[in-house]
Amino acid sequence: MKDGFQVVGIQQQIQQNVVKPQNQWQGKPILSALLLSCIVILCCACELIITKDPSYLDLQHHSTAPNSQFLFGTDTMGRDIFSMIWYGGRISLFIGFVSTFLTTAVAVIVGAVSGCASKRVDAAIMRMVDILLSVPDLLVVVLLQAALGSPGVVSIAFVIGMTGWMSMSKVIRTEVRQIRNSEYVIASKCMGGGFFHVLWHHLAPNFISSVMFMVVMSIRSAIVAESTLSFMGMGLPVEVISWGSMLSLAGQALSGRAWWMILFPGLFLVTTLVCLTNLGNHLRGHVNRRHSNL
Amino acid sequence: MSELLEVHNLSVSFDTPAGEIQAVRDVSFTLKAGEVLALVGETGCGKSVLCKSILRLLPDIARIKGGHILLEGVDITRYREQDMRGLRGKTFAMVFQNSMTVLNPSLSVWSQISEAVKIHGHGMSREDVERRVVELLYLVGLENLKENRRLYPHHLSGGMRQRCVMAIALAADPKLLFADEPTTALDVTIQAQILDLLKQVQAKCHTATVFVTHDLSVAAQVADRVAVMYAGKIVEIGTAKEVFHDPRHPYTWGLMQALPAFAGKRDSLYSIPGMPPTLIDPPKGDAFACRNVYALAIDYEKEPPMFQVTDTHFAATWLLDERAKELGIKAPVLSGSLCCPDSPCPDLEEDILLDVRHLTHVFAVTRKESLTAVDDVSFQIHKGEIFGLIGESGSGKSTVARCIMNVYRPTAGTVRYQGINICNPRELRAHKKLLQSARQIIFQDSDASLNQRKKVCDIITEPMKLQHVKPPRGTYRAEAAFQMQYVGLAESYLDQYPSELSGGQRQRVAIARALSMEPALLVADEPIASLDVSMQAQIVNLFKHLQKEHGFSFLFIAHDLSMVKFLCDRVGVMYQGRLVETGTVEKIFGHPVHPYTRRLVEAVPVLDFG
Amino acid sequence: MTGEEAEPLKIRNYITSMGKKLLLFVISVLILSLLVFYISRLSPGDPLVSYYGDRVEKMSTQEREWARERLGLNNPIYVQYIRWLQNVLEGNFGISYKYKMDVTEVIGGRIINTLLLGGIGFVFIFLLAPVLGIVCAWHEDKLPDRILCRIGTVTGCIPEFWLSLVLILIFAVFLRWLPSSGAYTIGAEHDAADRVRHLLLPLAVVVMSHLWYYAYMIRNKLLSEIRADYVLLARMKGLRKSQVMLGHCLPNVAPAYFSIMAISVPHILGGTYVVETVFSYPGIGTLIYESARYQDYNLLMLLSLLTGITVIFCNMLAQTISERIDPRIRSEEEGSLREVKEQ
Repeated sequence: MKDGFQVVGIQQQIQQNVVKPQNQWQGKPILSALLLSCIVILCCACELIITKDPSYLDLQHHSTAPNSQFLFGTDTMGRDIFSMIWYGGRISLFIGFVSTFLTTAVAVIVGAVSGCASKRVDAAIMRMVDILLSVPDLLVVVLLQAALGSPGVVSIAFVIGMTGWMSMSKVIRTEVRQIRNSEYVIASKCMGGGFFHVLWHHLAPNFISSVMFMVVMSIRSAIVAESTLSFMGMGLPVEVISWGSMLSLAGQALSGRAWWMILFPGLFLVTTLVCLTNLGNHLRGHVNRRHSNL
Repeated sequence: MSELLEVHNLSVSFDTPAGEIQAVRDVSFTLKAGEVLALVGETGCGKSVLCKSILRLLPDIARIKGGHILLEGVDITRYREQDMRGLRGKTFAMVFQNSMTVLNPSLSVWSQISEAVKIHGHGMSREDVERRVVELLYLVGLENLKENRRLYPHHLSGGMRQRCVMAIALAADPKLLFADEPTTALDVTIQAQILDLLKQVQAKCHTATVFVTHDLSVAAQVADRVAVMYAGKIVEIGTAKEVFHDPRHPYTWGLMQALPAFAGKRDSLYSIPGMPPTLIDPPKGDAFACRNVYALAIDYEKEPPMFQVTDTHFAATWLLDERAKELGIKAPVLSGSLCCPDSPCPDLEEDILLDVRHLTHVFAVTRKESLTAVDDVSFQIHKGEIFGLIGESGSGKSTVARCIMNVYRPTAGTVRYQGINICNPRELRAHKKLLQSARQIIFQDSDASLNQRKKVCDIITEPMKLQHVKPPRGTYRAEAAFQMQYVGLAESYLDQYPSELSGGQRQRVAIARALSMEPALLVADEPIASLDVSMQAQIVNLFKHLQKEHGFSFLFIAHDLSMVKFLCDRVGVMYQGRLVETGTVEKIFGHPVHPYTRRLVEAVPVLDFG
Repeated sequence: MTGEEAEPLKIRNYITSMGKKLLLFVISVLILSLLVFYISRLSPGDPLVSYYGDRVEKMSTQEREWARERLGLNNPIYVQYIRWLQNVLEGNFGISYKYKMDVTEVIGGRIINTLLLGGIGFVFIFLLAPVLGIVCAWHEDKLPDRILCRIGTVTGCIPEFWLSLVLILIFAVFLRWLPSSGAYTIGAEHDAADRVRHLLLPLAVVVMSHLWYYAYMIRNKLLSEIRADYVLLARMKGLRKSQVMLGHCLPNVAPAYFSIMAISVPHILGGTYVVETVFSYPGIGTLIYESARYQDYNLLMLLSLLTGITVIFCNMLAQTISERIDPRIRSEEEGSLREVKEQ
């Protein structure tokens, strides 16, 4: 028996799976993450890089175009825009995070309760949410503001948080409903898993990814809301520096053709928002595995 | 007859980030006008890809790496998209597998068929088009559709949709029809109808057909010639008679042995060990060697060429080489007997474990409408018995299972488990612990029934942790490892997530999870429906083996009659929510009484290899 | 499915479902008005200030009391609400404390401007989004798609007010091509060309800030559609790829698109509020803010009712559209029946 013509039967075959080393950074929003963390860290540690006292009114140098002393110029009240951006960014980001925390907390509670409740209770809650959604946002903000008294950082964060939770809770409710009817939850219940077991071991891990996307997007819209409100004079007063309140001087800037007062804070604002959007889209994990049939 | 289609040394690859998948490797075959060629093989061995690459319907990442496709002597391999467009529909057409998703849901069926007529009917008047559509509807047996032109695909059942797809495919009288598993996703009785229709159409229109299937008995019914594919290659090709009566390739032997009808009186189904290889860098030598008990040493070194057996019969195995002749390896004898295994008749005096009486379950669809899914169903399951529940989709089988597991609360009737009325909330609460560990369920879709975000280890030990069972083998992890070995899974899978496993492996995990509680009653809701044939055989063997060892009672829900026949002691047949017949396997399959049962039994493709 | 007796049944079902929807609509609007009424009354601030202006400071306590009585502000809130409701049912929405005229007149003059800006913007978005979406889906992951996605993401992120500022800076301040504020030049109210010139910048902001959201949605939906099995069947017939995209994939996306666009009507209209403020465009956006600030109750109620009604109405419209157009949802009841059957 030569030439290998003998029965050897089943043998372990070495499958030379040469898996190509895949670039693990590919398709991930590295640039966005880096930029965003730069902005966040520098804003938090703004004392280290600011060149002037951001709230000091240097009336001699008001509305100065960018130069070596004032990197981004000064505003109509003579404050250094470069320093204000880092200092104000801290407040804008703080409002974004705090209000998102509020939004998420309320949305998760309402969404989870509605998702787990019986059909009738669920319908009632969702109808209420719909009605709340139909109250104009601007109105709620103004009214809540009026009710809370003078606008401050915390009250603004609270107001924005209270207006944003409705649509998020609807998404969470759908998600919970879907997972609740899935077979692994049924299987777990058959094995004797109680409500909290199912909630903790099955519901939570499965909806966290979709909630994460919503959370990032909600930070984004909170920052937009803060800046818009402050810009329109309904949010933070000019003395409290944030990206929005810096831009509320835009009217004077336009008439003085002081482009730097509009451009620089806005660029920082937009960069932050774009980075957040990219991160959010990545978290959603919208990857089409299948290939196009077209 | 001249050759209609010639395929020479065709190779098709997909360029994926993980590497190059060689889906079709060096395939050659020819097809004459009016001939039926069956392509058989397991899932993932390149049958569909082969068909789609001829029609050039593959995504951009696929490319034809080599070889030629000749249509009536003309090389179409390098045809561009616009040239192919003229051929599609007119010269060759295709019927797809998923009849449920293949029709456009937002266009009416009529408009989809007439569109297909119009594309190649240049200068046809509206009346001509209408006449042709009606003609097609008659051809596929949907004449009652011609009145209502505003019917959408969701109005139709799976079988009717498949007929519509056939009408679309036949719209321009193609010379060549590719049928890609056209019956797989359908119920047994519908399968038989569609198969008949295909045969009729084939006879009437004289269309050459490439029929893709994984079911040998279906292939035997329709094919003139048969090609067996494995790992992207044709390993055996010949006339139907030659391939079925004188199979030469060990893979063909395995496929034929795996048919439940050939199980005969043996107590386990034959199954081909292992799984098909991934086609990224396929192994050296014969891809089938690592699953082949007759593998020769040379199989691991060199790929076998095609050996000629007769003028029309070829097989690619070293066993046909001159030098291997002296080994005298022959195809295993198939006991073609279709007689039923005489299973030990369960002792009726034995304790009844589960007693279902007048079970009725009504779903409230809207406030006024309701749907009776289960209607007055009564049956008993004895201790240590395997009870099969069969019926087509929508007949209420799963609802029965879910009522037994207390997932649904029955509208009427009682379910007693060892005398405990589980429909009574008080009794249920009193015996909750016992019931939760003694009854276990396995679902059809292992993909959905395992939490994607848990590791296999955690999934298997979940019921033990829930019931605070102290793991007999020390730690939970050790226990999970033991259970995994028990169901035939390597320990290395413990830390993997379900999505990293194959369908068969996931189903094994689900079984291990259910068995870890040592249940007295195991309910399996279509546990093998979503698996490949060879995997089905493996899982059914596992069930049989485990049941013998543990002695649990087993409610096995399936629509595959042959598996039920092989596995079960007694069978119940459900039809439109009612249990129309119960009895031993011999009785149901030998002397069906109810007309539906008779239809069901007759619809099973008969193994007629003559 | 057919049959003569089915027709009247269908019509009856249709009428009852419409009736139910109407009832739901009325109830929602009532709850909304009650909610706004209560919140606005509870917030601190003196409506007398907006009515009498600075004169309030000089008024004696007695005079103030009398004024409050005259305006009906001393009654319990629910009495005020019922009285307001009675008046509304008679078609009387009350007078604006600040403008001292009927609130409908106050709004009437300005709502046209808002509708003009929002309406034209909406039409642009409605038509452009599918075009962009199809272009992107057609070139999936190729250069045109990538470029459009990048640009789209950035423009979609820019807050409306900042975009307005930048555009004013460029086109009005530096280039002096277009006016920076107002709806028309004083004295040229009836000059159409002048109006268009005033509308251009605000319109650009409205369109740019919303367009990508919808285009991206269509792109993603189309991308999942072209992965569906029916595309294979359609191509197998011999259709062109473009025919498959427009004739088969688009109809599947359309119902969802229409209903989302319906939901978005108030969103896009509401988006104009900010733009109006920046461009000092006389619409109703600024009114809402003022009326809430200065406790101009009647004006506030009418404005928030209008907004709320638009929202609720558009939501219902969206639901109806998807029910009417999409054959899949149209027979959702059959669908749910089938699902139940299979369980």
